[in-house]
Amino acid sequence: MSNTLNTQDLPPEGGFPSVRYQRNLPKRGPSGSVLLLGVTLISAYGLYRLGQTNLERRNIPTSKLFYRDRELDREKYWSRIHLIPLLQAEMDRDLYRRTLATQAREQEVMSDVPGWKVGEKVYHTKRYVKPTVVVIDE
Amino acid sequence: MAYNEHPFLTDIKVTDPTPMPDNVPKVDEVGATSAPLKSASFFIGGFCKDYNEDFMLCKNENNDPAHCLKEGRKVTRCAIDLLKKLRENCDKQFEAHWQCLDKNNHEFYMCRPEEKIFNGCVLNALNLKKVIPGSPEGQTPINLKENPIYRPRPRT
Repeated sequence: MSNTLNTQDLPPEGGFPSVRYQRNLPKRGPSGSVLLLGVTLISAYGLYRLGQTNLERRNIPTSKLFYRDRELDREKYWSRIHLIPLLQAEMDRDLYRRTLATQAREQEVMSDVPGWKVGEKVYHTKRYVKPTVVVIDE
Repeated sequence: MAYNEHPFLTDIKVTDPTPMPDNVPKVDEVGATSAPLKSASFFIGGFCKDYNEDFMLCKNENNDPAHCLKEGRKVTRCAIDLLKKLRENCDKQFEAHWQCLDKNNHEFYMCRPEEKIFNGCVLNALNLKKVIPGSPEGQTPINLKENPIYRPRPRT
C-alpha cells in the first residue's frame, strides 16, 4: 500500500507550462484598408488618364460638358474636307469625259434605230442621277 | 461583246481612252499622291478657300458633273498653283513632312516636329497659317500642344 503511494504521477514543480494554441506571426506590410485605398487611387488615375486620352482623340460634338480637347479627329476630318473640292473636280472631269464617250458610242451603235434618243434618262426626273452601270466593250 | 459593270464596285479596271472634247478648256491634273495632299491640305483649304467654296456651292446647286466644270478647273488650277509655291519656297520641309506622314499611317500626331518646321516656313513664305476650324476658344490647338497624350514612341 505504501509502495503504491510513493510512485504516483504528479505535476512537475511549478505546474505544467501553458499550451500554445495561438499563432504568433509578426505584423507585415500595410493593412487591408490601405491596400484598398491604394488600388482605388491607382484605378482612379488610370480612368482619368483614359478620359483625357479619349477627349484628345475623339470628336463627339454632342455634350457641352466635355467640349474640350478631342482635336485629333477634328484635325483629320478637316484635312479631308479641305481636299474634297479638289478630288471631286478631278472626278467630275473624268466622269464627264466618259459620259460623252459613252453617248458617242451609243449614237454609233443605235444609229439605225429610228426615234432613239441618245443619253435618255431611265428615271423620270430632272435631277442628275449618277450612272449605276458602265458598259464595257471587250 | 459589251456587258454591264458597276462603275466603282468592281475589280475590273474600266479604262476609256477617249480624250476630252476640244471645246472644254484643258487643265492639268494635280497628280500628287495622298501624302503630299494630306500634308498640304490645310494650306489648300486656306489658299483656295474662295474657289473651293464656290465649287461646293455650285455642286450643291446641281450635282451634274457637266454643271461645275468651270469652277472645278479653277479649284484644280489653284491647288496646282499652291503646290508649286510650296515646292519653290519650302521644298525640303514639305518633303520631310509628307515623307513622315507616308511612313506613319498618315497620322498628323506622329509628325509634329516636321509639321512645326513646315508650318513655320509656309507662314514666313506664303503667310498661310494652319487653322483647325471648330477649335474651342482659349484652348491650344492640338498641333501646337506642348505635351499631347498622343505622341510617337521615341524613335530609336
